[in-house]
Amino acid sequence: MDRNKISKWLKEPDKMSGKYSLWALYFCTGCGIIEVPPVLTSRWDAERFGVIPVATPRQANLFLITGYVSVKTLRAIIRSYEQMPEPKYVVGFGSCPINGGMYWDSYNTIKHLDKYIPVDGWIAGCPPRPEAIFVAVTHLWTLIDKGMAKGYVKYREKYELYRRNQEKVLGTLEWPPLFPIKDDGK
Amino acid sequence: MAKKEEILNVLKSFRDKGYDHLEMVSCVDRIKENKFEIVYILSSYGENETVILKTAISRENPQIPSAIPVFENAEPYERELHELFGIDFEGHPRLTPLLLERKYKIPPFRKDFDTRKYVKEVFDEIPFIEDKK
Amino acid sequence: MVIKLIALPLIAFVIGIFFLGLFRKITARIHRRYGPPLTQPVIDIIKLFYQKSVSHGRLFDFGIIVSLAGSLAVILFLPFAGICPLESSGGLLVIAYLLLFAPLGIALSGGEAANPNISIGISRKLILSLGYEVPLILILLAVMTHYKTISIAQIVSMQQKTGWAVFSAPLFLSGISYILILPAMLGVRPFDIASAPQEISSGVKVEYGGKFLALATIEHAFHLFIGISLFVNLFLGGGNVFVFFLKMIFVFIAGVFVHSVFPRFRTEQAVKYLWGWPALIALLGLVLAVTVK
Repeated sequence: MDRNKISKWLKEPDKMSGKYSLWALYFCTGCGIIEVPPVLTSRWDAERFGVIPVATPRQANLFLITGYVSVKTLRAIIRSYEQMPEPKYVVGFGSCPINGGMYWDSYNTIKHLDKYIPVDGWIAGCPPRPEAIFVAVTHLWTLIDKGMAKGYVKYREKYELYRRNQEKVLGTLEWPPLFPIKDDGK
Repeated sequence: MAKKEEILNVLKSFRDKGYDHLEMVSCVDRIKENKFEIVYILSSYGENETVILKTAISRENPQIPSAIPVFENAEPYERELHELFGIDFEGHPRLTPLLLERKYKIPPFRKDFDTRKYVKEVFDEIPFIEDKK
Repeated sequence: MVIKLIALPLIAFVIGIFFLGLFRKITARIHRRYGPPLTQPVIDIIKLFYQKSVSHGRLFDFGIIVSLAGSLAVILFLPFAGICPLESSGGLLVIAYLLLFAPLGIALSGGEAANPNISIGISRKLILSLGYEVPLILILLAVMTHYKTISIAQIVSMQQKTGWAVFSAPLFLSGISYILILPAMLGVRPFDIASAPQEISSGVKVEYGGKFLALATIEHAFHLFIGISLFVNLFLGGGNVFVFFLKMIFVFIAGVFVHSVFPRFRTEQAVKYLWGWPALIALLGLVLAVTVK
């Protein structure tokens, strides 16, 4: 550990510790999830980056969405995302969450994930290689360092817009709003 | 091919002959002939053979007796067909939604359901959330 | 005295956290991975303290503190290389009582959160502790009968005269029994039924996030320290700071080896195992300790 790093640790321990201990919640949708077990186990060993899988959204701070998102899955994704403690980061894995991918004209998959929850980074590919997860993680480190991974802040600030989009596609939501909704007479 | 009214008897006779495993109930939308084709796939463990039974019903009035009295495991397949093709299975105990979350005017697996128009109307209408500049 | 009161929990904390890091590193090496750095648990705990956490009620906050306090109290009664602030009072009997505090506190805390996974986890945890308490009590009785004292410090000093208890004639059966139940006490792999992430979403910890999870991790570190330290004190004859630490690492690494190669027991299999051979050997050890002078 060089002196630069130590001074960083002393100056902003929240950022540094958040960087090096990303606990990931893998949302097992679609084909991208097949790429994830090799990443966690002996072949590509994600634990050396501090990335470990956790079983519940309460403990996680990295949300990996691996594959296409159907309307029914979106409901579960939103509920899991709102249970995660802040600061939290979302990475869309594969081309399906970006713009629908090969399901661009399907009647039942939502096309753009970032219309419903904020996404900090994308991994393109159909499906991407396991190494791409490490590229995403190291890129996320840079984003956290520069203070650009602020998806959760955006979610808090524009919650009514997100909630309106979610209600448009899902109908009525059976859970109460996470943040108070400002009624600006619209 | 079997007639719609006869389907239960035909299924029963096949079951008694040893084709006692219903693998699948499926449907084909023959839009030019204005018909739905319901496909029953039966197989036999003893003979190691597969039998495919087909029956046609009209598109305007898609009704067919449920196969549950003969094969109990037809229940989820028929629910799925009811949801995706809008076929009414008479005598089915619960034709509730199984897979889909949204309501569709035309069941989405019918040939006259225009997916691209639907996508354009529903999913593309939802606005992006822009960053403040 | 005061210095010892502060120093012992600190030592336990440092060693427990070090054990957590070592645990992950050795498991990774056995899986032929590179593994995280040894400081990874520290980074995790710092991160967890900076996260926002959701509380589920007053008992939810209180229970985890009760659990932590129970572990701390046990540590104060447990000598580490001769450092023992509460040496003159209590001894083994108090430890046998206080050992139940940690699971009870977690159970109190989890009961408030009303998650079905938590209630399954609590019942499994209590059943497991019921499972290993039976042989443990028998072992403690055998040790107390043989040395005719309840003070751990005296037991350690007697062993330094006569040799390690695990190799001496009347107590070696109890020692073997303790080795057999040690994975259950530490909660490692064949017995991690209470925190099984794949079955019940990490069990009692399912609603813990942020600070609560950090406290639970620290409690787990203390728990590791207690289980191993008790074994080293009772059967491996203590020693000075360096020797004691070396013995602890030796026992711990054996536990990690067991952890990384075994699959998980079901609950009834675990109880069947714990009330089977370990309890029988412990009973035989007690009989031997009573009869042989």
